[in-house]
Amino acid sequence: MIHLAKEDIRHTLGKFIVTAMGVGMLLGIVLIMMGVYRGMIADAEVLLEDLDVDLWIVQENTLGPFAEASRIHEDLQYTLKGYDAIQKSEAITFQSIQIPKGKEQISALAIGYDIYGEISPINPKRLLAGRVIKSEHYEIVVSDKTLFKLGDKIKLGRNFYKVVGITHGSVSSGGDPLVYLSLKDAQELQFTYTNKRVQTDRARGIVNRDAHLVNAIVATVKPIYSLENVSKELKKWLHKSVYTREQQKAVLTKYVIEKASKQIGLFTVILVSVSTIIIALIIYTMTLEKMKEISIMKLIGLPNATIVKMIVEETLLLGVLAFIFGNIFSHLIYDKFPKHVLLESSDALSLFVVVVIASIFASFIGVKKVINADPTAAIGG
Amino acid sequence: MSTKQAIKVENVNKSFGKGDAFVDVIKDASFTINKGELVALIAPSGAGKTTLLMMLGCVNEPNSGSMWLGDEQVYENKWLTKETRKIRRQKIGFIFQAHYLIPFLNIIDNLTLLPQANEVKDKDSKAKARELLKYFGIAEKEEAMPSQLSGGQNQRVAIARALMNDPEIILADEPTAALDMNRSIDVVKMLKKIALEQDVAIVMVTHDDRMLEYCDRIMKIENKKVVFEK
Repeated sequence: MIHLAKEDIRHTLGKFIVTAMGVGMLLGIVLIMMGVYRGMIADAEVLLEDLDVDLWIVQENTLGPFAEASRIHEDLQYTLKGYDAIQKSEAITFQSIQIPKGKEQISALAIGYDIYGEISPINPKRLLAGRVIKSEHYEIVVSDKTLFKLGDKIKLGRNFYKVVGITHGSVSSGGDPLVYLSLKDAQELQFTYTNKRVQTDRARGIVNRDAHLVNAIVATVKPIYSLENVSKELKKWLHKSVYTREQQKAVLTKYVIEKASKQIGLFTVILVSVSTIIIALIIYTMTLEKMKEISIMKLIGLPNATIVKMIVEETLLLGVLAFIFGNIFSHLIYDKFPKHVLLESSDALSLFVVVVIASIFASFIGVKKVINADPTAAIGG
Repeated sequence: MSTKQAIKVENVNKSFGKGDAFVDVIKDASFTINKGELVALIAPSGAGKTTLLMMLGCVNEPNSGSMWLGDEQVYENKWLTKETRKIRRQKIGFIFQAHYLIPFLNIIDNLTLLPQANEVKDKDSKAKARELLKYFGIAEKEEAMPSQLSGGQNQRVAIARALMNDPEIILADEPTAALDMNRSIDVVKMLKKIALEQDVAIVMVTHDDRMLEYCDRIMKIENKKVVFEK
């Protein structure tokens, strides 16, 4: 059996492959965009997953430190420990910082935690080298993204901190690397000012600044208690905002990532549309190049279905080949991006379905040309 | 029961346009062409040769009249079947000014494309194609692409393609237009031989008077009427 599409493509194989590579690059960028979004979600969930807590207690009427400034007293953790339903509770701080490295500054999110506490934000699985913080002062654990090595000294605020541990894959929702400090160091870094500032504040009458603030209290609930009920009770009695882990995840995705995801989604739709239009134009041009042959095929009696099948198959093959090239392209370049790009096979599968549907749509213009082709155009030279 | 009749046309009329743009092209055409005949169709440019050829080929619909291809009546003031393309596929062979082979198919695939559409077994259509290529002296070219063959060889392949569906009629639109004198005579002689040996009626449009002597009859379009010269 003669396979017209296969033979036609074989006849112009080089051109077809180069065309598919071009469209493939566009589809590769679509996959990268999807990967950037997935990366953002994954990054946002790193801290949530690593802390592995049930409740987030934050400043009243705020969404918590992932979305906005939240300040809460550190000793609230002890109040919580008095509740029968609470298994563990710890204070935690979050602060965006700039770490000097040579002439450059590295944006990072500093997490302060009680190194003697029962809840640690450092997931042991992420620890590539070194150890967790063991001293209350001047030790720091950094993400490998910062490129610091064990033993390096980092100046933050007024003090130097020694790198004692290196983690991998620990990033904030913004893609910045995470660094970990003891709670006391983190509080000092966040809530204590330079001597000059203290002097100025005193001159203005501002004294006794309270450094015993944190950004959130995290807690786990005993399994026999209902998480929802405990959350409601705490909200009622503590006059704080209380979020479950799922609610914090929703805050991250809805308030922090939503805009970015919409932007990425829009870009993705535009790129897929552009790819569809390009495929349609390529197929239209390829069909135009064959109009004489198509007229002859119609004149000698070949059914439309045979010719239409050729056009649709070529379009689909172009789409599928472009998709394959797009996948290869995206896998070749994804780790070159500064932000975490997470390529997921489910996204690739969705794009594949979209490409197949888009290719079928793209073939319509060529198919219409075939159906309208005048067989008498073959007569008369 | 099969007859010698390949084409029978009765009182066929064809016009184009309406009102001021109305043009009569063929008026009251009636003729019969038998199997085994090579008939030349001559007329000045614009006289309606292609229109007549396309009506005989079930491509353009006449306005009125009756038409038979072989024993089957295909037109009686309207097409008697919706599948005129199937009639072409099964009963008619076409030869064009240039070979117009499908450039992305090799020679054997160019020949077997039409039988494939007629659901002839691949093995049988290939055997037939090889037989025809041998008949035309280009058996060794079956795997070649049209671009690898000379103009004369391609035209022979095009003629072979027209015979692949065992047609009752072959409609040839100036098949020698792109060839030199000697090759033109060879092609017309070949068509004459095919008409006799394959028992097929061939209607050949030509502008070259030198080809007429090889034809059995000459069909002319004069003042919109179809007439025969010899």
